[in-house]
Amino acid sequence: MLYGLIDCNSFYCSCQRSFDPELKHRPVVVLSNNDGCAIARTAEAKQLGIKMGEAWHLVRHERKLSDVRWFSSNYPLYADMSRRVYQVLLDYSPRVEPYSIDEMFLDLSGFAVELHAHCGAMRQAVQQITKVPTCVGWGPTKTIAKLANGLAKDRPELEGLCDLTDSQTRQKFYRNVSVGEVWGIGRRLLPKLHDAGMRTIEQFVEAKPAHIRKIMAITGVRLQAELQGESCLQIAEIAEARKGMACTRSFGRPITTYEEMHEAVTGFAAKAAEKLRAEDQDAAHIAVFIQTNRHRRDEGWYANQFSISCEPTNDTFAICQHASRLLKRIWLNGYRYAKAGVMLNDLAPHGQQSTLFSTVSTKPEQESLLAAMDGINQKFGSGTLFPLSAGIKRDWKPRQAMLSAHYTTRLEEIMEAQAW
Amino acid sequence: MSARYAGDRTTGFASPAADAVEGPIDLSQILDLKNPSRYPVRVRGATFMGRGILDGDILIADTAGSPQVGQLVIAWAAGRVLLAELQKRDKAWWLISGDDTHPPLQVDPARDVEIWANVTSVVREKA
Repeated sequence: MLYGLIDCNSFYCSCQRSFDPELKHRPVVVLSNNDGCAIARTAEAKQLGIKMGEAWHLVRHERKLSDVRWFSSNYPLYADMSRRVYQVLLDYSPRVEPYSIDEMFLDLSGFAVELHAHCGAMRQAVQQITKVPTCVGWGPTKTIAKLANGLAKDRPELEGLCDLTDSQTRQKFYRNVSVGEVWGIGRRLLPKLHDAGMRTIEQFVEAKPAHIRKIMAITGVRLQAELQGESCLQIAEIAEARKGMACTRSFGRPITTYEEMHEAVTGFAAKAAEKLRAEDQDAAHIAVFIQTNRHRRDEGWYANQFSISCEPTNDTFAICQHASRLLKRIWLNGYRYAKAGVMLNDLAPHGQQSTLFSTVSTKPEQESLLAAMDGINQKFGSGTLFPLSAGIKRDWKPRQAMLSAHYTTRLEEIMEAQAW
Repeated sequence: MSARYAGDRTTGFASPAADAVEGPIDLSQILDLKNPSRYPVRVRGATFMGRGILDGDILIADTAGSPQVGQLVIAWAAGRVLLAELQKRDKAWWLISGDDTHPPLQVDPARDVEIWANVTSVVREKA
């Protein structure tokens, strides 16, 4: 077997750049939900010293950052660009596993000859078609492919491609690279490995399995085998249907009244129910949580969650009612709430798990109403039709003050070209 | 429900067309909009009226192809997005204005003049 990993460079920023020529040479930063902190930075932005997780409101006025273009995260755009990258890759590998929105594992077995040219052409195609730059690494296991990808990204002399198929090449890298660079070895684990005398990957690979097992159990042993070229992890292709569904948000400003929180939670419940119907599932367990700002404990800290089991349903109105009842149980006056959410669990295909004592099974006319609602929201945009209890003003919505156009998903926002 | 009847499943007399249903024409399929290299782009200005392209038209741009003489392209030039015609002179590619209001501009990525996509189709919402 031969595995590849392709990773999009500064993916969210690159997506913004795909449609805006003015961003070409400028530092670009994309902010987290609610315009909180930096979650993607171009190389130019990194050079200016902007750190991952840096809070936008603390640095926005710094003079040396005056040239930076800041963007609110535009997830519909990034999802569509990820879809495009995936589709391009299918021309270069029979099996592609989208591991995250911006990195995908590839089955490269059968391309052994001219693999360097093959990966180079693939990288070039993604760049031309989506305008998104990438790096590709490959080797006999997923862990090695991931490592190769990291090297391709960190070492400009590799020109975006890194081949760790050959065990002698690997040995050379293993000797000089920290074990912390290995997929799955996080900061918490690193000191323990250091204490056990494992600083480089070479030391980790040559350690006794029993020794590693003591520190990181079976995962560590599997990781060691993978680094030795023995494949333990397969290509998984598309993720299985989710076991739970959630809609949670940070608010643009603190919520202090029950009425507003009720609107927010109802809105989240409605959104979660809509997602449920889109996957044709029912939920039999509903949870609601609310919390104040974790970083402002001086203002008083409160967080609570309550949940119930219920008849399996995907009916917006039933789920909103449950959520409303749950909220009543946990609400406390006098706090400044920063975040809330609704989680749906115990999912099963719609209509399948009707119970013997079912009392509230969705009536046909209710099904039609929900289908009509989903139809209207699909046609005229999400949130066109919603339960009134979710509120109309909703000015606590997350801040998205620097949102770019939805270039590929909304016709009224597509790129404009001047007839020359 | 109306959406489920396509001329096939009749209740009284069996539809003679039951095995011949083809469904309505799907323009997104004809314009190949699900292809990863296809992007819609809105035209501003009417310099390409001579080639049948009006202000407000939607162009379907394709980023996958290679440059062709006479092709309409979406180009990036010094921070602007342009619709232009592509021509070849002295082994170089040039952007040509639709009504000769601008002199030709040489395609040169080093000077930030580059082709973003080829134009493959035109859509006009209201004829």
